[in-house]
Amino acid sequence: MVALQTRKHRHRATNWNAIGTYAAFVVFCLVVLVPIFWMVRSAFSVQSDLTRTPLVYLPRPTLQNFRMLVDQVPFLEYTRNSIVFALATTIVTLVVSYLAAYAFARLRIRGSGILLWAFLLSMALPDVGTIVPLYRILSRFNLLDTITGLTVVLSSTLTPFTVWVLVSFIKQVPYEIEEAAIIDGASLPTVLWRIVLPLTTPGLVTMGVINFINAWNNLLYPLSFSVTPASKTLSVSITEVFAGYSPWGRPWELIMAVGVTMVIPITLLILVSQKAIVRGLTGGAVK
Amino acid sequence: MITSSARTIAIAGRRFAIRMPSRATRRRYALFALLVSPALLLRFGTAVYPIVQTILYSFRNFSLLRGTDEFIGLKNYADLSTNYGVRGALTFTVMYVVASTILGLIVGLMIAQLLNANFKGRTFARTINLIPWAIPTIVAGYAFRWLLDDQFGLIPYWYQQITGKSMIVFIDPGGARLAVILVHVWKDAPFMAVVFLAGMQGIPLDLYEAAKVDGANAWQRFWKITMPLVAPLVITMGLFRTVWSLASFDLVYGLTSGGPGVATSVLALQIFREGILFFKFGFASAISTVLLLLVAVIGLIGLWLYRKFEIAY
Repeated sequence: MVALQTRKHRHRATNWNAIGTYAAFVVFCLVVLVPIFWMVRSAFSVQSDLTRTPLVYLPRPTLQNFRMLVDQVPFLEYTRNSIVFALATTIVTLVVSYLAAYAFARLRIRGSGILLWAFLLSMALPDVGTIVPLYRILSRFNLLDTITGLTVVLSSTLTPFTVWVLVSFIKQVPYEIEEAAIIDGASLPTVLWRIVLPLTTPGLVTMGVINFINAWNNLLYPLSFSVTPASKTLSVSITEVFAGYSPWGRPWELIMAVGVTMVIPITLLILVSQKAIVRGLTGGAVK
Repeated sequence: MITSSARTIAIAGRRFAIRMPSRATRRRYALFALLVSPALLLRFGTAVYPIVQTILYSFRNFSLLRGTDEFIGLKNYADLSTNYGVRGALTFTVMYVVASTILGLIVGLMIAQLLNANFKGRTFARTINLIPWAIPTIVAGYAFRWLLDDQFGLIPYWYQQITGKSMIVFIDPGGARLAVILVHVWKDAPFMAVVFLAGMQGIPLDLYEAAKVDGANAWQRFWKITMPLVAPLVITMGLFRTVWSLASFDLVYGLTSGGPGVATSVLALQIFREGILFFKFGFASAISTVLLLLVAVIGLIGLWLYRKFEIAY
C-alpha cells in the first residue's frame, strides 16, 4: 500500500513538471517566433493586404516587394556590399587575430600578460565614442565611403574578442606537436599554417561565423561612414527604405522585405552551425 | 617550457646587467612583435588614438558646418547640462540600461533553465533561441515597430480583441520606453541564456540528486545549487552587456527613433546625431566623454561586485 502511494505521488509530480516545462516551451516559441512570422508575412504581401481590417494572418504570397526594391533602390549593390563587407571583415579579423593569439598563447615574453589584458580591456571602449575622430581619420586616408575603410574599422572592433577565444583554443593544442616540428627545423610560417592552423580549425570556424554575423548586422559604421551606394550596406538600406514615405504611410512591406533579406543568410548559418556558435559565445565567458 | 626558460634568462639578465639576452630570446621577442603588431596597430589606430582625440575635441568648439575650431575649455560640458536632447538621453540611457540588463539576466536565467530541462523539442528550442541574438538589431527594431503599430500591428490587434481597448505604444513616452526595454530583453536574454546554460551544464548532476534525496524542492535546488554556481557568470554577463548596451543605438534607432520627443533617446544616438548628422564634432565628443566616464564607473562597480562576491563565496 505504501509503495503504491509513493509511486502514485511520484507519477503525479513528474507530470506537473512536464506540463510546466511544455507550457514554458510553448510561450518561449511564441515569443521568439511571432515577430519573425510577422516580418516574413509582411515581406511577402502586397501593401493593400497589410492595411486591411479585420487583420489577415496569411495574405496571398507575392514576390512583388523584392522586385520593387531591385527596381527602386540599388538593392543588388547594397546586397553585394553587405556580402563583400562581411566576408572581408571576417577574413581580416581572423588573420590578424590568429597571428596575435598564437603569440599570446605560445611566445610568452615579459609583459605579454599585461599586454593581452590591456588589449582585451580596449573592448570596453565604446565604439560610438570614436566615430567622430574615425570619420576624420578615414577621410584623411581617402577611405570614407569605401568598403575597405569600413572593413578596417570593424575588424579592429572585432579583434579583441576573437583573440580572446582563439588564445584558449590554441592553448588546448598540445605543445609537443609544435615542439617536434620546430626541432625538425620547421619555420614559423610552417608551424602557423601547417601545424597549428589545422588543429585550431574549430575555433576559427566558430569565430568566423560569429564575426560574419556581427559584420553583416553592423549598422554603426556604414551609417556613419558611407555616403553613396558605393559602400552602403543592407543595414543602411533598411533605414533608407523606412525613411521613404509612401502615400499610405510607412512602406512596411518593403521594410520587411529588406529585413527578410538580411535575416535569411543569418538563419541558414544558425541552422548549419548552431554548435559552433554556442562554443564561441561561451568560449570567452566559460572556462 | 618556453615560459620558464624565458624567465630564467630574464632574471639572469637583471642580475648581470652586462649580459645581453640570448639570441633565442631576442628572436622570440622579434617574433612576438611581428605577430602581435597588426592587431595592436589596428586597435591603436582605430580605438586608442581616436578615444584620446575624442577627449581632446571635447574641449573645442569644433564644428564642420560653422567652421569653428578653438579651445573653449569646459563650455561643451556646460552646454550638455542644458541641452534638452542630451538631458533626455542621459535619463533614459540610465533607466534603459539598468532595467533591460536586470530584466535580461532574469529572463536569460529562465530560458537557460528551460533549455537545460529534459523534454522533446529541446534541440528545436536551443536552435531558435539563437534567432533573436543573431538577427540584425536594426531589423528587430523595425519588425517590432511594425508588430506594435497602433493601426495594423498584430499585438495591438490581439490586445483589442481581448480587452476591447486600443493599445497605444509609441505616442506615449511610458509605452515607448517600456517597448524599448522589452524588445532589448527579447534580443539580449537568449544570448545570456546560452552562456548560463553552458554554466549549468557544468554543474555535476550528483549535487541535484543528493539535494533531491534530502527533500529539497525544485525552487530550493535552483536557489541553493544552480544560482551560487552560476552567479559569477551572471555578474560577468551583467557587466559585459551593460557596457555594450551603453554604446549602441541600433535598437532605439529602428524602434522609436528616440521618440516621442526625446523620451527614448540614448547618449549613443545623440553622439551620432550631433557628430555625424550635424558635424558638431566638439559637442558630440563631449557626449562621448561622458559615455566613456559612465563605462568606467560601471566597470569599477562591476569589478568591486566581482571581488566582493568572490570573497564572500
